[in-house]
Amino acid sequence: MNPRRIHAIVLRHYFLSIHQMERFFDAFLYPVLVLLLWGFLSTYIGSIKSSGLIAFLLGGLILWVIFERVNTDLGLSFMYDVWERNIINVLSSPITFVEFIAGLVIVGLSKIVFSFILMAVMASIFYNFHITTLGFSLALFAINLIIFAWSFGIFNLALIFRFGHSIGPITWILPFLLQPFSAVFYPITVLPEFFQRVAWFLPISHVFEGMRGVLSSHEFDYNQFFVALILNLIYFGVSIAFFYLTLVGVKKSGRLVKLI
Amino acid sequence: MAKKAEVVLEVENLTKRFGPLGSGFVAVDNISFNVARGQVLGFLGPNGAGKSTTIFCILGLIEKDSGQIKIFGKEFSQHRSQILQDINYASNETQLPWNLTVWENLLVFAHLYNINNVRKRITELLDVFEISDLKRDMVRDLSTGQRARLSLVKAFLNKPKLLLLDEPMASMDPDVVDKGINLIKRLQKEEQMSIVYTSHNMWEIEEIANDIIFINHGKIVAKGSPIDLTKKVLGGAKEPNLREVFIHITRS
Repeated sequence: MNPRRIHAIVLRHYFLSIHQMERFFDAFLYPVLVLLLWGFLSTYIGSIKSSGLIAFLLGGLILWVIFERVNTDLGLSFMYDVWERNIINVLSSPITFVEFIAGLVIVGLSKIVFSFILMAVMASIFYNFHITTLGFSLALFAINLIIFAWSFGIFNLALIFRFGHSIGPITWILPFLLQPFSAVFYPITVLPEFFQRVAWFLPISHVFEGMRGVLSSHEFDYNQFFVALILNLIYFGVSIAFFYLTLVGVKKSGRLVKLI
Repeated sequence: MAKKAEVVLEVENLTKRFGPLGSGFVAVDNISFNVARGQVLGFLGPNGAGKSTTIFCILGLIEKDSGQIKIFGKEFSQHRSQILQDINYASNETQLPWNLTVWENLLVFAHLYNINNVRKRITELLDVFEISDLKRDMVRDLSTGQRARLSLVKAFLNKPKLLLLDEPMASMDPDVVDKGINLIKRLQKEEQMSIVYTSHNMWEIEEIANDIIFINHGKIVAKGSPIDLTKKVLGGAKEPNLREVFIHITRS
């Protein structure tokens, strides 16, 4: 690992953010808009149901944005180099794939820290919801969300390698395919039995169940945390293996250089 | 006795097939060649002959089916980052990010290649390629010729010992090509680098290459210096005439 080459990738995206405002907007505008939309909806539903519902919905939303943004940013940052026909310049330099992905991960993490602080402050001011009431468990939830986002993002990169430009938009769609089964805004028990089984295999559904547990009973469920962590380690290993095998395949088939 | 020139690139029996289970189209068919230190090798051939595939195999971006590629005496797969530290690549097919300035782009690549005295090296090359006044300009605002020169600046950033140039000046006007070729020649001599250069512009190749390999349907069909190749293929010629050589080989 060469820190300077990782720094080069971070620098490239820092410069891009300066010149391309949508790179800033996606860290700023999207979280603000979804928080406003769900905030007002939660307030309305909360007024006719129970006051705890607001916390469930807004807490779920903020944690979901952490997962969705970290995942999307990994694919999107890579796609910028594909769209700008720069990817072969980067891949023919001494940088390794581990260093390249490490650079993209740092870019994604720095953006999500900004988005998270913004959403936490807004939720506190506008809806009197304090995400910090989750305490230390918030950090543990974030660990599981971020690891799964990376696994999913690396899987996504492998798909881009394999299928090229045409698969790019899936970067935005894939996380939302998981959302109905992830129990973001409702308990897993609400789902039909088959989908409940699917949900138990998703690390993030355990995170959201855990979050509701902390908000309602102020107790952190270590079982949920460790189940999520073990699932995460499995998915992370599988996504790395899938990425590696895809990379070997696209180098053999010549598809990698078709990304020009 | 003259000292034997140091070999920087050795390609031996390189073969690459594409298609299901590698059984389909043979893009590169058992080719072998060496590039010595300071040598400029012109790599000629019609579209689809296997030139770019060979270059991508050298860069490790396409996995070869068989054969051996040694760069600086080392196996690529075992010393990838170390080898790529001393190689660079430019092609008209690639571009530097449009939404970054000239300076920002070069700064990013200087870090990727772990270059010391970054500012000095970038400034020096921008001066050589006469684009210093564009350093604060966005790449999207540059003309095609200016972008080609910027790609060459990027290619020379790390003082590569081996430079792979895949049609770096395709679709440039003759004035830009002339300036570009002269600058490449100058830096090549100053820094004693080896170059593999592909182009469909025969004048470019005559100007820059000491030796030529002609590849067709993935096979090397002729090689030699521009004048030797012309004599061999056309017979009795006194001046290199690669255009006629090209037409003769591809039609025969």
